[in-house]
Amino acid sequence: MPSPTSCLLLNPSKPSSFRRLSAPAPHLHARRFHVSCDAPRGSGRSGGGRREAIPTGASKAKKQIVFFDAAPPVSQEGGAAVEKAGGEKPTTKVGSGNAALALVRRATKRTLAVLSNLPLAISEMFAIAALMALGTVIDQGEAPSYYFEKFPEDNPVFGFITWRWILTPGFDHMFSSPVFLGLLALLATSLMACTYTTQLPMVKVARRWSFTHSGERIRKQEFADSLPRASIQDLGVILMGAGYEVFTKGPSLYAFKGLAGRYAPIGVHLAMLFIMAGATLSATGSFKGSVDVPQGLNFVIGDVMKPRGVSLLHRMFSILKSMSTGSTWSTMTVERSMLARDLQSIVLYDQEGKFVGVRRPSSKLPIEINGNEILIEDAIGSTGLDLKTDPGVPIVYAGFGALMLTTCISYLSHSQIWALQDGSTVVVGGKTNRAKLEFSEEMNRLLDKVPELISADENVLNTKSTAT
Amino acid sequence: MLFATLEHILTHISFSTISIVITIHLITLLVRELRGLRDSSEKGMIATFFSITGFLVSRWVSSGHFPLSNLYESLIFLSWTLYILHTIPKIQNSKNDLSTITTPSTILTQGFATSGLLTEMHQSTILVPALQSQWLMMHVSMMLLSYATLLCGSLLSAALLIIRFRNSFDFFSLKKNVFLKTFFFSEIEYLYAKRSALKNTSFPVFPNYYKYQLTERLDSWSYRVISLGFTLLTVGILCGAVWANEAWGSYWNWDPKETWAFITWTIFAIYLHSRTNPNWKGTNSALVASIGFLIIWICYFGINLLGIGLHSYGSFTLPSK
Repeated sequence: MPSPTSCLLLNPSKPSSFRRLSAPAPHLHARRFHVSCDAPRGSGRSGGGRREAIPTGASKAKKQIVFFDAAPPVSQEGGAAVEKAGGEKPTTKVGSGNAALALVRRATKRTLAVLSNLPLAISEMFAIAALMALGTVIDQGEAPSYYFEKFPEDNPVFGFITWRWILTPGFDHMFSSPVFLGLLALLATSLMACTYTTQLPMVKVARRWSFTHSGERIRKQEFADSLPRASIQDLGVILMGAGYEVFTKGPSLYAFKGLAGRYAPIGVHLAMLFIMAGATLSATGSFKGSVDVPQGLNFVIGDVMKPRGVSLLHRMFSILKSMSTGSTWSTMTVERSMLARDLQSIVLYDQEGKFVGVRRPSSKLPIEINGNEILIEDAIGSTGLDLKTDPGVPIVYAGFGALMLTTCISYLSHSQIWALQDGSTVVVGGKTNRAKLEFSEEMNRLLDKVPELISADENVLNTKSTAT
Repeated sequence: MLFATLEHILTHISFSTISIVITIHLITLLVRELRGLRDSSEKGMIATFFSITGFLVSRWVSSGHFPLSNLYESLIFLSWTLYILHTIPKIQNSKNDLSTITTPSTILTQGFATSGLLTEMHQSTILVPALQSQWLMMHVSMMLLSYATLLCGSLLSAALLIIRFRNSFDFFSLKKNVFLKTFFFSEIEYLYAKRSALKNTSFPVFPNYYKYQLTERLDSWSYRVISLGFTLLTVGILCGAVWANEAWGSYWNWDPKETWAFITWTIFAIYLHSRTNPNWKGTNSALVASIGFLIIWICYFGINLLGIGLHSYGSFTLPSK
């Protein structure tokens, strides 16, 4: 049964038409005519800068209903932003006195438009992916001589890659190279610009419900159907049963579901920004070091600590512990290598890696490797202490939590349904942003449930008058 | 010993059943669609599912840890996940093209897992200390779920590309087309759609209408499946990051596996963003998803093959070494 919250019959003073009288004429124009179809490039453009339309309620008498097309997804903004950047736009609001300010404002707007451009963002992501892949292909963090040897100038890899290609842009330490970090920063600004110019205005638009009195517009939706001899009230009740928020006003109905799915991408972007901010903090403010202490000696924490309030962190592990659990410890020098599975016996290998022998520390038997005599006197355990502090972790974790939550919510689809009582027929149209196939299936199922009225006209009129 | 025998039997049952299922698919393709055969292939999938589940459970019981500690187990888990994906839309009773992807994928992963390459991994071992954590279950299972989902989604996209550009493929290389015809069952589905539709309808049929409808459906399904996989991948990577912060002292180490997981994430983020542009929807986004298919394999398998980095638990050496 209709509860007051879900079936809301709007009083006439509630704004049903969202015209903003104070808006500059061209934008109003653009917004008004791009209503129902999918991809209004022009409306996207006008939304790029100023979608701050506030319902004034001044035009309640208007018959022309503007229903906002659900905010266009990012890309339309992006695609349109190019045009916007290219074309001149008169700035109407700015007074003649502060022309400099106008210039600055226009410049900011253009920068924002360029930055929130979707193709740019996508190419940034591609570039970052490519650089990361390159970073795993090229061995990282070696000495320059390694690269001189591996990518020689006289015999370049693939005919052109020499060490200059790697060392000049800093690809030997890819993940801290200025190119990579710069790209990440650029992506972060793109994210911010997109959130600011596209997504936040979308919130204001998507929150409002909107009715339409034009059957034509309803029929133009992705899903459209008409039910002969049906009542819009029945449809409303059925939609409510299916979890929709239903609003009716006179002969028209508007219902939506899954608004969170519309908002969640904003959350995803904000969470990404959070993580990036936290990571920056980690990179600048974190500290890591380790002390290695042989058995019987003392830790000198000062060895690793710099004089800036470093708190000692939780991680402490010992090589001894890892030995007891099965991994091995080994040292390698140019002439020989030693391998100690435990402290009882030490396996020795020569320069070529050939097995030479096993010695116990207590045996006092010398062993000859490559002409050198080696005597194992004793094997002592050594333990280490890792010190770490990272002020970015709480922020990054907050970002992680938000990201997980918002990506999950993003899977929901935001469905909107409009319906209009046209005589005895109900015209139904709807659209959704994600699960399109499921949506039309669900709609077909729900519309099958709508009862058919026998004496159509009277019934419709009756229900209409009583339902208030 | 008992468990080992049980596992052995179960893997063989599942593998032979899935082979039979594939054979049934091929027969229905070549001869005619027979109702009974189609049902029996469904039953075969259920039998496979139960034997794989049995295998995983017995592994879990016998080893005492979640059966995801090496490549062999993860491959078995992957085919189990593919089955789950196969079932979910069935429960909702919506017709879809997923089964055309999941069935062959299941047999391929199973076939690889049981092939001679990984024999020394078939015995379960003690978990290395670094993996002894509750996070193992969360992180690894999430990652594998997301891999399976993304693989399915990107294969659907690849099928879309092939159907859309079939004629140019013909022109391009005959051999390749034959190969694709053998392996991509959605192609077959398309033939079916066309054939049954021709049988059922009497009004004039536009030659490209069914093709269009099929690509639209594939597009929509791959979008849904990839978004699900992307969500799982996000959760998996973030769980891994939290675990890494506990185990290695830093939540991000630019380890090759991590980096490639992030590349995968980026590629599918690009896919999701490219979908929002109506001009790029369809072909371009499907192209991105197909790149994503390769990237997942590099991430899941290529890095293990190299055995580099901190994630070397899943690595394996080829028998010659």
